[in-house]
Amino acid sequence: MLPEFNLLTPQTLAEALDMLAESAPDAVPLAGGTNLIVDLRDRRQCPAVLVNVAELAELRGIRQENGHVVMGGGTTIAEMLNDPLIAQHAPVLQDAARIFANPLVRHRATVAGNLVYGSPAANTPPPLLVLDAEVELASQAGVRRVPLDDFLVGVRETACRPAELLTAVRWPTPAQHSAAAFRKVGLRKSDAIAVLNVAVRVTQRADGVCEQTRIALGSVAPRVIRARAAEESLLGQPLTETAIAEAARLAAEATRCISDIRGSADYRRRVTEVLVRRLLTQVAGEVK
Amino acid sequence: MNQNSLSITLTINGTEKTLTVQRSDTLLDALRRASYFSVKFGCGTGDCGACTVLLDGEPVRSCQIRATEAAGRAVTTVEALADKEQVFLPSPGLAGLHPLQRAFIETGAIQCGYCTPAQLLTAKALLDRQPNPSEAEIREALGGVLCRCTGYVKIVQAVQRAAALLRGEDPAPFAPIEATLAPDTPLAELLGEYSRVGADGAPLILSPPEMEHLNVVGQGEPKVDGVKLALGQPAFTDDIQMEGMLYGALLTSPHAHARIKQIDASQARALPGVHAVLTHRDIPRVKYASGGQSYPQPPPFDQVCLDDTVRHVGDRVAVVAAETPALAQQALRLIEVEYEVLPHVLDPQAAMQDGAPIVHDEPDTEGIYDRQRNIVHHIEAEGGDREAQWAKADYTFEQEYRTSQQQQAHIEPHVCITYWDEDGRLVVRTSTQVPFHIRRMLAPLIGLPVKQIRVVKPRIGGGFGNKQEMILEDLCAHLTIATGRPVRMEYTRAQEFTSSRSRHPQIMRYKIGVTAEMEVVATELYLIGDTCAYGTHGLTVQMVGGQKGLTLYNAPYSKFVCDVVYTNKPTPGAFRGYGSMQCHFGIEMLMSEIADRMGWDVIEFKRRNWIKQGEELLLAKALGEGREGFQQIIRSNGLEDCVRVGLEATDWYHKRGNETWRQGENGMRRGIGMSVMLHGSGIAGLDMAAATIKMNDDGSFNLLVGATDLGTGSDTILAQIAAEVLGIPATDLVVYSSDTDFTPFDKGAYASSTTYISGEAVRKAALKVAAQIKDHAATMLGSDTSEDMTLRDRQVFTPDGSSLTLEQVALSSLHQQDQHQIIASASHISYECPPPFGAQFVELAVDTETGQVTVERVLMVADAGRVINPITASGQVEGGLQQAIGFAHCEEMVYDESGRLVNPRLGPYRVYRCHEMPHLEAIFVQTEEPTGPFGAKSISELPLDGIAPAMADAIHDATGVWIREVPFTPERVWRALRSADTYSGVWQI
Repeated sequence: MLPEFNLLTPQTLAEALDMLAESAPDAVPLAGGTNLIVDLRDRRQCPAVLVNVAELAELRGIRQENGHVVMGGGTTIAEMLNDPLIAQHAPVLQDAARIFANPLVRHRATVAGNLVYGSPAANTPPPLLVLDAEVELASQAGVRRVPLDDFLVGVRETACRPAELLTAVRWPTPAQHSAAAFRKVGLRKSDAIAVLNVAVRVTQRADGVCEQTRIALGSVAPRVIRARAAEESLLGQPLTETAIAEAARLAAEATRCISDIRGSADYRRRVTEVLVRRLLTQVAGEVK
Repeated sequence: MNQNSLSITLTINGTEKTLTVQRSDTLLDALRRASYFSVKFGCGTGDCGACTVLLDGEPVRSCQIRATEAAGRAVTTVEALADKEQVFLPSPGLAGLHPLQRAFIETGAIQCGYCTPAQLLTAKALLDRQPNPSEAEIREALGGVLCRCTGYVKIVQAVQRAAALLRGEDPAPFAPIEATLAPDTPLAELLGEYSRVGADGAPLILSPPEMEHLNVVGQGEPKVDGVKLALGQPAFTDDIQMEGMLYGALLTSPHAHARIKQIDASQARALPGVHAVLTHRDIPRVKYASGGQSYPQPPPFDQVCLDDTVRHVGDRVAVVAAETPALAQQALRLIEVEYEVLPHVLDPQAAMQDGAPIVHDEPDTEGIYDRQRNIVHHIEAEGGDREAQWAKADYTFEQEYRTSQQQQAHIEPHVCITYWDEDGRLVVRTSTQVPFHIRRMLAPLIGLPVKQIRVVKPRIGGGFGNKQEMILEDLCAHLTIATGRPVRMEYTRAQEFTSSRSRHPQIMRYKIGVTAEMEVVATELYLIGDTCAYGTHGLTVQMVGGQKGLTLYNAPYSKFVCDVVYTNKPTPGAFRGYGSMQCHFGIEMLMSEIADRMGWDVIEFKRRNWIKQGEELLLAKALGEGREGFQQIIRSNGLEDCVRVGLEATDWYHKRGNETWRQGENGMRRGIGMSVMLHGSGIAGLDMAAATIKMNDDGSFNLLVGATDLGTGSDTILAQIAAEVLGIPATDLVVYSSDTDFTPFDKGAYASSTTYISGEAVRKAALKVAAQIKDHAATMLGSDTSEDMTLRDRQVFTPDGSSLTLEQVALSSLHQQDQHQIIASASHISYECPPPFGAQFVELAVDTETGQVTVERVLMVADAGRVINPITASGQVEGGLQQAIGFAHCEEMVYDESGRLVNPRLGPYRVYRCHEMPHLEAIFVQTEEPTGPFGAKSISELPLDGIAPAMADAIHDATGVWIREVPFTPERVWRALRSADTYSGVWQI
């Protein structure tokens, strides 16, 4: 049993944006509902209007466009997991999708929902951050693109404005000499919310010198963050054991951990270092 | 139809239906209201998956989907899987069932059956798209549906079997593997195949050569309630809709400790559709204890139905009854409560300090040992010659261990429906393990005599001890009395965590004296048991803990001192393992630590000291359950064989301490560990069970038992016991259980008593009926003696070879000759409590850089006496192991400083899912217990007793570090690995 609300089901994106605009800020888009329905039941959120965007064709589909991969915001985690284009260009996203909750949730949960919910422990932001993803936010006023790094603000806080809908996520098709990896530490395998999670991506020249590095850390700050000092420390360097260890140390320094039921701040910081080191070592071996 | 109602058209199970729904309805709400009762409520938060249905062929959680979203789409529930008309043909069998349903029944994949519809549908969706899935694919697909009974072993097997059936294959019948175990049996040969590759979970049953083979007992009979549960029939408490039924709801305390200064329910009462609001002012103050135990219940009586003081977050404040669940919730929000917040205490050691907040200062609670220091009970017991024994000790070891608060997490919440019947008697239809105790305990609280109350237990969706407790029945009954209408109350999942029961956290300080020759000469245990806000089960859990913890090695001098302490946390109660498993953690760890410290072989050290056949239990008399016990001697003990078999099956001596085997990549290290354990079978001299068997015209029988099947399969094994005596198939018995009007008394399902106590009552009743059958046969045959007649194959045979069918005997006795009803009742009580024994072996991997532990393989070898049904018994082992691994590894109720539980959800609480489970194996080493039915002892709680110490032992084998507090979370392991001082106890040499 859920609290009373008015549910609107638009047929087109334009209609959905009108509905959101009309009832802003009391309207919330609803897609898979894996977070929202629980919040409604527990009355953590009590919007007067829900706009059902689950069926909107404009939010579906994964395609390539001008050197970018574009993924509709309504893409479910299960679709992402089975998509050949993602397998080819962003397998790191599938690593995160594979251990996303469990199959029933993966069938419902969408990438837009996972991003807009603003959880620092969410699975998709770290891989999307290392892919340099942008989000497309649509409203009656038009569409704006915001780098994911600017979109994520704090705990349950994003740059999404009232009456805006996250319609797509896009990122440049990664270069050939690029490899990425993702890892999560939970109490057990998948279902436990992450104690922390880490994604890295490295682009190397033929001689092994690092051209570009991305390191994203989840559950170690109010939002998923990039470890910029660590990234920069590797630029122009071969990925030696020493360089990797230094980058891992810098990544741990970038964290702003809290202590909670899943782990203390100290533990998170120290294990961040371990994971970053392992992932960098792993990708260093994978880059062609 | 109000403004929020609308009608939707959708296809349900192939038929187009139009349903009237509210905008706020979830699909689960709408389907249950339309009587699709196979769709179950488990949490409402998307964690458990019990509400899974197929939406356009895809499994989805119906609690997370709005009903309106299903409009125009196709919904499939389990009701659609079988051809019911064919299933219920004159001879009900498995024909007409979907191959998945058949396989679930054949493999024993159904225990309580509450999650079964969701498992079946999820598996169906998998097999529809992948007819030949790997085990990993099956586990992954089922990962969204929690099961708390089975450890998922048999569910995975069932899906594999169904896949084979659907592919047109003809898999061999599912059966346990049987073999003979003699002292000189070469184990490597016997276990070779089994142990190295595993046996896909089929239990292995090893029998001594002299053990007699029986016909029905010992067979893997399908559960008598299997078909109904596989079909998703409306068999559970909440699967009925009564005319005029109201919905009850409970307001709980937001404070850990507070006095209710003012409570104003006028607005709630004024809300149209609200029929009653009850606060502490509205019902009489009658003191009671909520634990479902025998009369007289152990003290203290420190509860009342509704009080003016709240003692934990989640404590009872008020109840309402309204016409819809939504109205009931709205009414709760309209109750205005003014609290005077009082100081609270969460830590049991702090609670025992002078000046600590007093949890129970009310004058009408009697029998608190030291109210000022919150000590509700102080227990002391000892046996043997203290000075003489300690004088023999060459070494003394002392160490402290701690366990956490674990929740039972049965998937069906507490749920109860109360109503007046046509005779003005109050009927309580409830999900309980103790219907007869509930009837007796409820009467004084609601002011009705026992004779005016009928308690009925339908199928129940797991309990594990948490339903050995009066949780909702009193409140629900008060609401029916206040309104005159049927009232239904069901806990939310959050209330299950904050307002039902859990496992007592314990702090144990063990002290062991040993000689240089590996002999344990003295053991002392000081135990602090945290009984939290109320004392229910507080005394008995700790007494059982002390008794079992000190009996495993039964040192010639043993001493137990215990303080049971109040704090302001949600109350623990009975939970499978019941103190014993906590105290096993301490004793087994310290024994392993001593062996390690002394450089002794841990197996040899334990073997020298564990209790042997013929030994008397030193503390059995001093430590009963809440009272003095009875002298006990071990009459059957297969522990030596359990350990011997386990060592061979795990290849222990190849792996233990083997640095090559241990090392993995990236800081991973593997380890192997073990523990031994014992439990009890019922409560000696206290537990009583009765059974009635009645013969019908066709030679079939009704078996009426008070015993309470909470999913364990007790109805089935009781039928097997009767069938063995009567010479019939188990299916010739119609089992009806747990109804205080129609079945004889049974104390209920707890204390590992059903097989041993209720089983013997059934055997005795069957023997009486058998004698009556023979007597009547003698009359029919004109013989003057019924001696030497035998019952087999539904016939009675005379020594000269002539025979009568049971149908002939029945018809004659009812209609023709010397007419009378062949019927008998029997009761059973035992002054003994024979321990089942077991050994558990754990293999795991530790990530030494993150502290993450991965359990890879668990083997349990058990001596449960004679195994009545290998399939249900191994199911008990596998499900018990899952709960024990959770306890040791990740489950824990965590509080913030204000006493608020931070993880009152199944997701963050972390119950092991199908794809996370290690490989589980069960082996039984049969013995014959002379006091048990056909030689049986108990099995249900034993599997809980040893996993935590075996895991700790394995972590130590892998890393050299002892971790003395559960659960073994990544951070706790990581910290221990970084601590230079790996021993903080006292070593005296």
